[in-house]
Amino acid sequence: MRSMGGLVHFLRTNKMAGFGVALLASILIAVLVGPVLYEVSPTRLNILKRFAPPGPDFWLGTDSLGRDVLARLLHGGRVTLVVGCSVVALAFAFGVTIGMISGFAGGWLDWFIMRLADAMLSFPSLVLAIALAAAFGPSLENAMLAVAITLMPQFARMARGQAVSVSVKPYVDAAVTLGLPRRRILLRYVFANAVGPLMVQATLALGAAILQTASLGFLGLGAQPPAAEWGADVSINLDFARSAPWVALVPGTGILLTVMAFNLIGDGLAEWMDPRSRPMIG
Amino acid sequence: MVFVAGRIVAAIPVLALVLIIVFLLVRAIPGDPAVVLLGPGATREQVAALRDQLRLDLPAPQQFLEYVAALARGDFGLSLKTGEPVLTEILLRLPATIELTLMAMLVAVVVGVPLGVICATRVNGPLDHLLRLVSLVGVSIPAFLLALLLQLVFASYLGWLPVSGRSSALVTEAPITGFAVLDAMLRVDCAGLQSALAHLVLPCAVLAAFLAATLGRYVRNSMLETLGEDFVRTARAKGMTRPRIIYVHALRNALLPAVTILGLKSAEMLGGAILTETIFAWPGIGRYMFEAIRNRDFPVIQGTTLVFALIYVMASLAVDLIHGALDPRVRRRML
Repeated sequence: MRSMGGLVHFLRTNKMAGFGVALLASILIAVLVGPVLYEVSPTRLNILKRFAPPGPDFWLGTDSLGRDVLARLLHGGRVTLVVGCSVVALAFAFGVTIGMISGFAGGWLDWFIMRLADAMLSFPSLVLAIALAAAFGPSLENAMLAVAITLMPQFARMARGQAVSVSVKPYVDAAVTLGLPRRRILLRYVFANAVGPLMVQATLALGAAILQTASLGFLGLGAQPPAAEWGADVSINLDFARSAPWVALVPGTGILLTVMAFNLIGDGLAEWMDPRSRPMIG
Repeated sequence: MVFVAGRIVAAIPVLALVLIIVFLLVRAIPGDPAVVLLGPGATREQVAALRDQLRLDLPAPQQFLEYVAALARGDFGLSLKTGEPVLTEILLRLPATIELTLMAMLVAVVVGVPLGVICATRVNGPLDHLLRLVSLVGVSIPAFLLALLLQLVFASYLGWLPVSGRSSALVTEAPITGFAVLDAMLRVDCAGLQSALAHLVLPCAVLAAFLAATLGRYVRNSMLETLGEDFVRTARAKGMTRPRIIYVHALRNALLPAVTILGLKSAEMLGGAILTETIFAWPGIGRYMFEAIRNRDFPVIQGTTLVFALIYVMASLAVDLIHGALDPRVRRRML
């Protein structure tokens, strides 16, 4: 495991990763502080002011229902970040636990879990997320669950690989011989040694989670009106984008910048953990 | 031969689990699927008929076996919306999706591979930084945003390309193969060919962007690794020219991992096809699936999901086999 001081130094010297951190910090400040300073409701309708272009009254214009685009951008950003983090946390918790148990237990359980992971990875991820979200019913929570399920096998596979390589180490043999409980061995030795690469994967997965949830929102399977969510905002305003481009371009750019920030940080972390490593996203 | 057989056998349990997952999709609907799918206005008879069509009254294992048996007969069920056989509808739309995906793959290779090589041969230079940034945007941009930007610039503002739809020739002429470009060529129809290609440009660019960017990133890293190998140093010491070292020796070795990425990401691209086809009104299976989602037409959702998964499994298998054919070390490792 490399030191935190080394990470700070790396982020300072690696321009791309440093830019990613700065970008994410700016987005975080904007969505956390922005709605406090800019007290306009994202759901307030103003039919008389539909499609107002960006200007002094409405900084980023208004949408097809006269709602303030900036207010929706700031509130939608909160939703997007919470969604991304929750989805990855869920996929991480379940995926890593299942993968660790699979790798440590071995035998038929390992075989079955890994074939199940293979089967889930045999779907284009967005197709599986769409099919699951369609089955669960259109709502933001169901879309999040669907995306988390599709991300889970990636974490399970990775955690299993780490568990298999760590479980043959002499210190794990020693812990087994000493009669330590399995749960303690898994947490204290196997998980602790695998957490670094898994965190890198989690950072890269954040970008993918946000993109996929936004895509489900765009298809009408995510957040439902009038909630502000970037993917859904692009979708409902798409038909008007030719005459009033800001209505769809603003939330779309929000998604792009957030995903880019996570990808830059993820790439940087991957390089920091292993300078020979390749970017894992894409 | 043993390697090929081994890979095919290994794909069987995965395929069986894929079938189980697709089968369970309808069962994942909360409540009585038949009632939920038909909506509150459905009569008892309609609910009973749908329960019968989806075989919901049978025990689950029997439902599954009947589902697999029906699939083996080519029976993917009937669309709840139109009443048409799902497989017929999918086959009708498949050429449009294949045409779009293949063209996008071609564009991605033509753009992505040189992008990676240029970055690797000018590592840490201004061009490398610029192209890396472009590829980063390529993997981070939502397909619907890129589609919108291209439509605004090239269709609405410049008026160079059609906003959406497929070839206008398909409206007037009966399809021969179903592939608009190929059909226009077979008919020696220049206007039709022009229309088919013009309609392909924007959706193809959107679908290719992610793959080209991913491929560029992999080729760059792979080239950087290969350029540091001993055989490259030897070639240089022998006085070989720089282009020959890069394009003949290094690139050939660096492309091996790129083949894997190309295969897997091309199949992954099918997910992007749902978004792209929806935005560009492209009449493929992606748009068919989107319409089915809006109508909660589950036999169609199941059928399209299964077709996407089958294409993915076949692409993975093809990648493994091609990789094995290109690199004997892979054959040994996988045996």
